[in-house]
Amino acid sequence: MLVAAALRCFDPHTAVDPLTGVVREDPHAGRASEADLAALEHALRLAEALGGRCVAVTVGGARADGMLREALAAGAHAVLRAEGPGHDGAATARTLHRALLARHGAPDVVVCGDRSPDHGTGSTPAFLAARLGAAQALGLLELSPGRQGTLHAVRRLDGGRRERLRVPLPAVCSVEAGGVRLRRAALPAVLAARRAGVPVLAVAPPAGAQQVRTVAVRPYRPRPKELPAVAGGTARERMLELTGTFVPPAVARVVRAEDPVLAVDELLAFLRTHGYLKEGGR
Amino acid sequence: MSDPMFDVVVVGAGPAGSAAALTAARAGRSVALVERGPHPGSKNVYGGVVYGRVLDELVPRWWEQMPVQRWVTRRSTMVMTDRQALTVDVRAQAWGGPPYNGATALRADLDGWLADLAQEAGAVLVPSTVATGLLRAADGTVRGVRTDRPDGELSAGVVIACDGVNSFLAKEAGLFGGRTGARHTSLGVKETLALPREVIEERFALRGRDGLDMEILGCTRGIPGGGFLYTNLDSLSVGVVVGLDGLAACGVRPEELLADLKAHPSIAPLVRGAELKEYSAHLLPEGGYDTMPELAGDGILVAGDAAAMCLAAGVWLEGVNFAIGAGMYAGRAAAEALARGDTSRSGLAGYRRLLEDSFVLADHRKLRRAPGLVFSERMQQRYPALLCDLAEEFFRVDNPRPKPGLRRLLRRGAAAHGVRLHHLLSDALTAWRSFG
Ligand SMILES: Cc1cc2nc3c(=O)[nH]c(=O)nc-3n(C[C@H](O)[C@H](O)[C@H](O)COP(=O)(O)OP(=O)(O)OC[C@H]3O[C@@H](n4cnc5c(N)ncnc54)[C@H](O)[C@@H]3O)c2cc1C
Repeated sequence: MLVAAALRCFDPHTAVDPLTGVVREDPHAGRASEADLAALEHALRLAEALGGRCVAVTVGGARADGMLREALAAGAHAVLRAEGPGHDGAATARTLHRALLARHGAPDVVVCGDRSPDHGTGSTPAFLAARLGAAQALGLLELSPGRQGTLHAVRRLDGGRRERLRVPLPAVCSVEAGGVRLRRAALPAVLAARRAGVPVLAVAPPAGAQQVRTVAVRPYRPRPKELPAVAGGTARERMLELTGTFVPPAVARVVRAEDPVLAVDELLAFLRTHGYLKEGGR
Repeated sequence: MSDPMFDVVVVGAGPAGSAAALTAARAGRSVALVERGPHPGSKNVYGGVVYGRVLDELVPRWWEQMPVQRWVTRRSTMVMTDRQALTVDVRAQAWGGPPYNGATALRADLDGWLADLAQEAGAVLVPSTVATGLLRAADGTVRGVRTDRPDGELSAGVVIACDGVNSFLAKEAGLFGGRTGARHTSLGVKETLALPREVIEERFALRGRDGLDMEILGCTRGIPGGGFLYTNLDSLSVGVVVGLDGLAACGVRPEELLADLKAHPSIAPLVRGAELKEYSAHLLPEGGYDTMPELAGDGILVAGDAAAMCLAAGVWLEGVNFAIGAGMYAGRAAAEALARGDTSRSGLAGYRRLLEDSFVLADHRKLRRAPGLVFSERMQQRYPALLCDLAEEFFRVDNPRPKPGLRRLLRRGAAAHGVRLHHLLSDALTAWRSFG
């Protein structure tokens, strides 16, 4: 059983010059986010409970070595730093996947933080799950071994609710920061980790043809809102109808449906009333 | 007791600690450098100027490697009242080339660089770890430190306490002889203000990597202390340092003093339009030579702010250079004592001798009266006003009245500010003894 903790090293004090765009990073300040530290703790607990090995892996430069050594000190059996593309979720997932396969084989479980604090989108776990052909569960507060080779997870929902999940293996799970805290490493382990080397694996970018390339960048512009054409009447009437001058403003209606089926019925009825769905349409 | 895990354990990866670890590691000793922050420099605050001469001995051609913001080519001392300011401004373009006089540097960069040097020399940095107490042998000799980690005991031949102002280790070792408390401790508050590089260069008449270091007297509403303003590449460091006793007695909040300073007519145009990036505060020892603890005990040495080796006396606000010097000699003395197999107090006494022969104790001994003089009520309140009035009167053109002579102006000003001639003489004598 191989449990991987996929961590990201970031600098909480990175400053970007608003005029020149120059990024000033503190080379000594790289560390894992709270959510990533929680991910490592979950990975360590899963590996212990399932009798497996825990590997902490990251994509990044030498600045991440301190973070990986902390993972070693906390009890990870091995660490791995992949050097390769990591500019977005897809690239990071590809580099992580390749590095893990090359060094340790396919993991049974990957635990990640729910999103990295430096403008992360939280998409890396999804891309990773796709590559591994694994189940994905996100936004988790609890994660533990479940029945019959599955994982038991608890997920946060809106309105203070919780959802219990049974996650089959292989799985990619992303966890929130609040659930657990990383254990404090013992001093002998810290000393051993400080002396340990960090294995580095270079992952080449995909060969040109398959690579997704950015061909144009432009500012975001929302799509124009299309209005149905108004029928007949004088130009004045059409204008009044288009601008809705004499139509009383619609009052927002807040609906709290007891169960999801009723909520869906409400939504469909609304769409039909306003002409977005034909009667009987789906 | 079983074999120690390390020859030397250094507590605190500030300038003193890293210099100590570097020197001991270079002497072939196994060294652990314990730091409570997640990385060196993360917990440290200072104004921003480093006088690097001490590094000549430690890192040849250090100026090619040290992470520097600007080289100090202008040093100013300003005395001020609420509405006046008198500045002595020294520009020495030679300071802008090797071997350089001083530099502004950010603490995370500087401390990280020094700690990296120590690690390259073989020291093991143990971050995010607090030394919580001393380990002792049956006879009381210090034999290591206890930390806040599980199984967190680190045994060592010698412990070098570089844990900064308020050193709990030096106190626990009894080196302060029971002296504790807030006396001779100052609070420094500092803001980092961002300004574009070109604006800084224009406002402060600087070019390229030239920089300014300005010390200010009379900006603390009479509370013993002073202020500073230093230039970085694209930010300014502005702060005040005030004695804790005076601050407590006055009931003023330190940030009010800093706001006053920034609003002063001679400072406001310099910081206009700057964006506040950082506010920080830290204690510093201000008492100088007479308040230093014993520097060595059985199995323990103390260096830097932990040993009150900071010079906070008006035109001087230096601590990093003293810390580096003291750390370097502590590392050397520890290695020599270990080589001789005698790490008792007398075996470690070479540390004090090394310090006495160097600028560290020589400067502190020479300037031992300076803190008393600079923090006196006359120096803090009366002299700035007297000097400013004197300059204002002297430079005022008042014709058709004839120009008054300097002697008359001085007599008039001294009477107006309650300064007696014998005060002036005795203070001048003290100043001469200190700075002469
Ligand atoms: C506002 C202000 C302005 C200043 N301006 C200047 C200036 O411009 N130029 C100058 O030369 N000096 C200046 N100083 C003084 C200077 O900052 C100090 O003299 C200098 O930092 C002393 O270095 P040090 O290594 O002895 O202590 P510190 O720099 O204080 O380092 C002590 C280290 O020990 C660590 N530590 C403490 N306790 C423990 C523990 N129990 N376990 C593990 N680690 C621990 C701390 O985290 C820290 O990293 C200024 C000070 C202040 C407060």
